[in-house]
Amino acid sequence: MSLRPAAAREWYKDAVFYEVHVKAFADGNGDGIGDFVGLTSRLDYLKDLGVDGLWILPMYPSPLRDDGYDIADFYGIHPAYGTVEDFQTFLDEAHARDLRVIADLVMNHTSDVHPWFQASRSDPASPYADYYVWSDTDARYRDARIIFIDTETSNWTFDPVRKAYYWHRFFSHQPDLNYDNPAVRAAMLDVMRFWLDRGLDGFRCDAVPYLVEREGTNCENLPETHAVLKEIRRVIEREYGGDRLLLAEANQWPADVRSYFGDGDECHMSFHFPLMPRIYLAVRLEERLPIVDIFTHTPAIPPGCQWGLFLRNHDELTLEMVTNEERAFMYHAYAQDPEMRLNLGIRRRLAPLLDNDRRRIELLNSLLLTLPGSPIVYYGDEIGMGDNVYLGDRDGVRTPMQWSRDRNAGFSAADETRLYLPVITDPVYGYQTVNVAAQAGTPSSLLNTMKRLLAARRSSLAFGRGTIEFLRPRNPRVLAYVRRYQRETLLVVNNLADSPQPVELDLRSLTGSTPVEMLGRTRFPTIGGTPYFLSLGPHGFYWFRIERPDEGDEPYGIEDTAI
Amino acid sequence: MTDTAQAPAPPPALDEQLAALGPREIAVGLPTYDNAATVPAVVAAVRAGLRAHFPDAAALVVNADAGSLDRTPEVLAESGVPVVLARHEAPNGARAAVPFHGVPGRDAAFRLTFDVARRVGARVLVVLEADVTSIGEAWIERLVRPAWEEKADLVLPAYARHRYEGTITSLMLAPMVRALFGRRLRHPLGGAFVLSRRLLEHVLEHLGPPTSGRDVTDLWLLGTAIAGGFCVAEAWLGPRRIESRTRTTELPSVMAQALGGLFTLMERHDALWLGVVGSEPVPALGEPAPLATAPTAVDVERLVGAFRRGVRDLVQIWELILAPETLGDVLSLDVRDATAYRFPDPLWARVVYDFALGHHYGVVHREHLLRSLVPLYLGRTAAFVNATRAVSDAGSEAALELVGAAFERQKPYLVERWR
Repeated sequence: MSLRPAAAREWYKDAVFYEVHVKAFADGNGDGIGDFVGLTSRLDYLKDLGVDGLWILPMYPSPLRDDGYDIADFYGIHPAYGTVEDFQTFLDEAHARDLRVIADLVMNHTSDVHPWFQASRSDPASPYADYYVWSDTDARYRDARIIFIDTETSNWTFDPVRKAYYWHRFFSHQPDLNYDNPAVRAAMLDVMRFWLDRGLDGFRCDAVPYLVEREGTNCENLPETHAVLKEIRRVIEREYGGDRLLLAEANQWPADVRSYFGDGDECHMSFHFPLMPRIYLAVRLEERLPIVDIFTHTPAIPPGCQWGLFLRNHDELTLEMVTNEERAFMYHAYAQDPEMRLNLGIRRRLAPLLDNDRRRIELLNSLLLTLPGSPIVYYGDEIGMGDNVYLGDRDGVRTPMQWSRDRNAGFSAADETRLYLPVITDPVYGYQTVNVAAQAGTPSSLLNTMKRLLAARRSSLAFGRGTIEFLRPRNPRVLAYVRRYQRETLLVVNNLADSPQPVELDLRSLTGSTPVEMLGRTRFPTIGGTPYFLSLGPHGFYWFRIERPDEGDEPYGIEDTAI
Repeated sequence: MTDTAQAPAPPPALDEQLAALGPREIAVGLPTYDNAATVPAVVAAVRAGLRAHFPDAAALVVNADAGSLDRTPEVLAESGVPVVLARHEAPNGARAAVPFHGVPGRDAAFRLTFDVARRVGARVLVVLEADVTSIGEAWIERLVRPAWEEKADLVLPAYARHRYEGTITSLMLAPMVRALFGRRLRHPLGGAFVLSRRLLEHVLEHLGPPTSGRDVTDLWLLGTAIAGGFCVAEAWLGPRRIESRTRTTELPSVMAQALGGLFTLMERHDALWLGVVGSEPVPALGEPAPLATAPTAVDVERLVGAFRRGVRDLVQIWELILAPETLGDVLSLDVRDATAYRFPDPLWARVVYDFALGHHYGVVHREHLLRSLVPLYLGRTAAFVNATRAVSDAGSEAALELVGAAFERQKPYLVERWR
């Protein structure tokens, strides 16, 4: 019998995730490419950092034309990353450290070299013939937008073998699976079972809005797509007992993303895409409105569900979910060099986006860790790694993890020419300066600050589970909110401006309570009937735990007979 | 002093009382302090027990009173049993700081009682608590018999308690006693105990004069008995219900007194424990009968909340006490979900040992040190509740066995750092 059935099932609500490329983290066999052996050897680092779960980017055999999002075999591990046995060892070792692991799963499409596609294109009579979306014309589904506008001109590509067009929402080498075909749905469930049977804690489900197509629609977020996801959730819940996670990647407006939670019977988590650019916007504008506004437009979600929050990830900083004016401003503010732009986004890491301004980096992490949702930290951002915008596509933010000032940043013992991507070597972000070893030994480093922030976050369930109430101080540069969960109340105050700011907060509902700053554990003056005055340094922030005056009076239930 | 002015007249001189009573085979020690309400029932149980099980033995009650203001000695004198009334003046400070065992100056009471027992030539000395209301005549039999028949020299009580009663004992004292002295006892601070004549003489030889600064405590008796090669046994007595106005249940005080006493003992008598390796169970008399239901609802959320507040408020003190890796592990404990909160046994053992070492080396004011252990203890208790809420009594015992084993295994950690 489980002692905490509900809590165990909803572990993701309290978790901080760490997004990591197997290839980029640590090279265990010296071939220049990170692998599961290397990743396993670095699990203690992740445990020590204070994260709770790992999100592994695609690990399957693939021609790697889209960094593994073009899967050629759902049942294997890419040979460069190791074997299924290596993966199993990694998973067991992670679990031994109480780290959960979810893995990317591309449900919408496969690589064009996948045997399913090869059978589908070459033999219309094969069982796989209808595994993909075929058409004699490229005129169907014209209302569907093209996502990779920099590389693709149509969502249809003509296949000379089958002499028909196949549908693809992403690259033309990534044909979409046909979810109208029950065999495809069953096949995908079998894929999921294969990994869940090994103990995997869930999937980050890539590109879920596009599973099903219908004429006359934009082919996104269709009811039929939701039906597929509900079916998957139902089966996984039934067969695996309810603590396995489905995290939806649906780059949509919150109101549309909301539908991916269903009635608590679809995906457990979904990324909050529009929040991320607005955090950057708010800090540049020194104005809280963009953040408050997007939460105003964020619908409530079912009880068992959770938002996934992130500052950066392996893709470009997507600006699809902002207005044209905002996008222009963002480009101006964060990506003046055209090389930094990709599709409708900015391909940069956190530190370079923020001009390596330590105060801003910490402020953004403060927001990430205290706004409602489960934070996802992109590998390397905890030490302020830089990027290389001159590498192709999104490779600039996928360079080797910088462990030390040793050869290849301590990432690999291989000859440097064999590395899958060059390490960052520029004078500001180069591995000689920015690396784990150096920061681990420096108490004031970003890495140690991140550890302290993560430890403070761990001390309260209210961060992951609490309600949020935005305060409306007169100073628009200050973003303050109250998080409440059960008996706990937290107050978070952030200065979005690059200059010191005063703020008066209306905390009358907390009169008599004492704010206790959570990082330095300093007790601030008790809240009285007048506005509560605080001053914040440039980009400064406070996390307060609100201690009620009556705290400590209730019994534990053991004291009368403790000895 | 006010106390003296209000106190009853002192009893007749001890020598006079003893001369009137003559030799006695069984001495029953009753240290008291304002126990007039409960002591008659205790004496009644003593009388019934002696009459039923030791009818031919000459017995007496030795009352060492700490200056009761409620006529406790008079009530005893009127009870009809042969009583020696002795009185010790517990320091006012000790009376103001109410002890967890209810008797200020328990050390002085022991000295008086032991002295009287020797002078009357007792074969067995049984010391009882004057405020225990669940005592019956069977207790006397179970406690006295092993020493009477010379099968044990020190008999300690084992009470029937719910698994969440006495967690300072089960999670700290008992594991520490196991690791330090090599004996697996359930209730090393059970209040009552029995000494054989052999052990009594040995103890009197070793306790030194009152001015020596040595406290004659329950744990010192235990350590001395084990180190002297005496046989220690346990007697299952049933539930232990207490009715007292003089015992504190304020946790930090209980912790400071109980653990402080143990740490002080470790310091002053390190020869009793430094060389002990391994542990063994002690013979137990009677059948254990754990209570089935929890005495009160344990609020795990609040326990973990107290631990969280400790992490928040006491880290600066803990930094001085705990080894860096121990502190790191403590701060890494996941406190988000109280119902899933865990506190590994090896870490817990290291925490308690670090506190013992901190006490030994005086790294922080000792009172502060001991009180700062409370949130850690509450956290460990929450983890114990979480681990055992849904298991059988055997499962709960097994969990405690693991705690004891962890303390035993980690003893070298303590010993290496002690010298």
